[in-house]
Amino acid sequence: MSEHEMAAKSAKQLNDEMLSSMRTPTWRWYGLAFFLGAVAAWGLSAFTYQVMTDMSVTGLDRPVMWGLYIVNFVFWVGLSHSGTMVSAILRLSQANWRRPILRAAEAMTVFSITIAGLFPLIHLGRNWLVYFIFPPYPSQRGLWPNFRSPLLWDATAITTYIIGSSLFLYLGMLPDLAVVRDRSSGWRKKIFAILAMGWRGTAREWVVFRQTSTLMAALIIPVAVSVHSIVAWDFAVTVIPGWHSTIFPPYFVIGAITSGVAAVITLMIIIRRVFHLEDYLTPQHFDNMGKLLLVICLLWSYAYFVEVQTTWYAHEPIEWEVFSFMSGKYTPLLIFMLIGNSVLPVTALCFRKIRRSVKMMLVITVLVNIAMFIERFLIIVPSLSHKNMPFIWGTYSPSWVELSVTAGAFAGFALLYTLFTKFFPIVAITDVRELDVRQAEVRLGRAKLPSITTKE
Amino acid sequence: METLGIFKDTETAGRAVESLVKSGFPEETITSLTSTPYPDGVLVKTNQRTWFRWLSVGGGIFGACAGFALAAGTAYLYPLQTGDKPIISYYPTGIITYELTMLFAILGALVGMFMEMKLPPWRKRVYDPAIGEGAIGISISTTRDQLSRSCEAQKIMQNAGALRTTSEETL
Repeated sequence: MSEHEMAAKSAKQLNDEMLSSMRTPTWRWYGLAFFLGAVAAWGLSAFTYQVMTDMSVTGLDRPVMWGLYIVNFVFWVGLSHSGTMVSAILRLSQANWRRPILRAAEAMTVFSITIAGLFPLIHLGRNWLVYFIFPPYPSQRGLWPNFRSPLLWDATAITTYIIGSSLFLYLGMLPDLAVVRDRSSGWRKKIFAILAMGWRGTAREWVVFRQTSTLMAALIIPVAVSVHSIVAWDFAVTVIPGWHSTIFPPYFVIGAITSGVAAVITLMIIIRRVFHLEDYLTPQHFDNMGKLLLVICLLWSYAYFVEVQTTWYAHEPIEWEVFSFMSGKYTPLLIFMLIGNSVLPVTALCFRKIRRSVKMMLVITVLVNIAMFIERFLIIVPSLSHKNMPFIWGTYSPSWVELSVTAGAFAGFALLYTLFTKFFPIVAITDVRELDVRQAEVRLGRAKLPSITTKE
Repeated sequence: METLGIFKDTETAGRAVESLVKSGFPEETITSLTSTPYPDGVLVKTNQRTWFRWLSVGGGIFGACAGFALAAGTAYLYPLQTGDKPIISYYPTGIITYELTMLFAILGALVGMFMEMKLPPWRKRVYDPAIGEGAIGISISTTRDQLSRSCEAQKIMQNAGALRTTSEETL
């Protein structure tokens, strides 16, 4: 939306439009929620079947003991990476175009890290003994739960990130919750009154709020980087060929940002279409996010090239064996991954026309994330299939149980997001309206100037 | 005691603040209630200094101690000798200490923010839902024994173009 159009709308109109997602649900919305709920329930029932039987219902077997569940875990952690991080970086850099996309990105982080946190538990086997891994559990039965295991690093980092990103999401929503409170009635008003914590928007409250937003943004970025570095260390601190690499943490972080940025764009497109937010999520936003995705895809391509080139040039037998096995057995997947994560986005996103085309951006970003899921699979499975001892080399195919749980996870994420958009404002209302106020024009002689100067 | 005037735009609200200050109301007792932030001085002047960051720092220090105790303490309490490696491993201890430091720093920042904002409030305060729809509220605090000053403030705000005024007394 142009500044003139924004200025022409009253605050009430802007509120009405940005809160349109919270209107009474339609039958189509109920249909979607029911469908997603049904798929999530199917995934849950497959997991229940696994608990009632044993891990033999999965495709996991020696030597591949990490399969689709861990692929999912890495993928969902990666997806969670960008929402909060993009939001935090754009807040710190005071990029004005960030405003309409903040909430969608932050909510994505919270729900994807929640889904990610479920997968180590699903993967665990004998889930009723889960409390054995929590410290400080005494060393009974010969088990010594301690922090030398990277899995406990994961548990700690993910807990920190879930709490941190949820609070970051809540903090950003605080003034918007007050707006919703003022417009609600009945039980909704009571709930939003509690959530808004008595916010009135006094000058002092705004001063403290803005300083806290900046501080939280500065604190959450290193946490986000640490989470995916720790997930990378799950692999890198082992001696398994293909994993034992110093480049893994930055490579994982770059991959995570790639999939996260792509997912934010995908969600922006869906939200824009479903809630008719074309005035707020404009081609300019897709153009800017497209440029960001282009840069990250270039970085990912560089990191992947460096990793493969080092393996190829050194030609260390077992490392090369793993790569040869991967490129031989999974050729179509490897080609798809390289096209989806590198060739396609890097070439297509160079063109402004494509970056500003919503349909093209939808296709590209969905392909980037499919390719990123494949990348996670190609990191995990081939390395375990061809470890150092050739007499136990093997392969892996996921079972229907693992595929069902995976489908359930995607549906669960979509359901959480769908419910969130219905109960909470999906666009950062006060952020957008603040820009409107700052860009309102005043006449000075023959010229029209912004009423309040802002740093761009 | 708080008195609130509701204005339809920043110009009338700004005029009201100027009139209140000219009439002898101290500027630090006047505040604005808005649904979007305005730069300092557009409506009122506010103290920009805050202390809540210290709570974040305190949270971080507490988190660092807790993280170290959790990682090193459990290893010390339930020792597992692996070859000649140390019982307390630096690398995992560093990671857990870092994560808990950040977690408690974040929690400290949020708790500190609410404490500094004095939210949630313990008593009912003057407010108008029109503020959420873009109206500007100008509030002035007076002591309970200054009822006449409150009435005077209401009159000044009405003269400046307030749509309506309310006082905490009427709540």
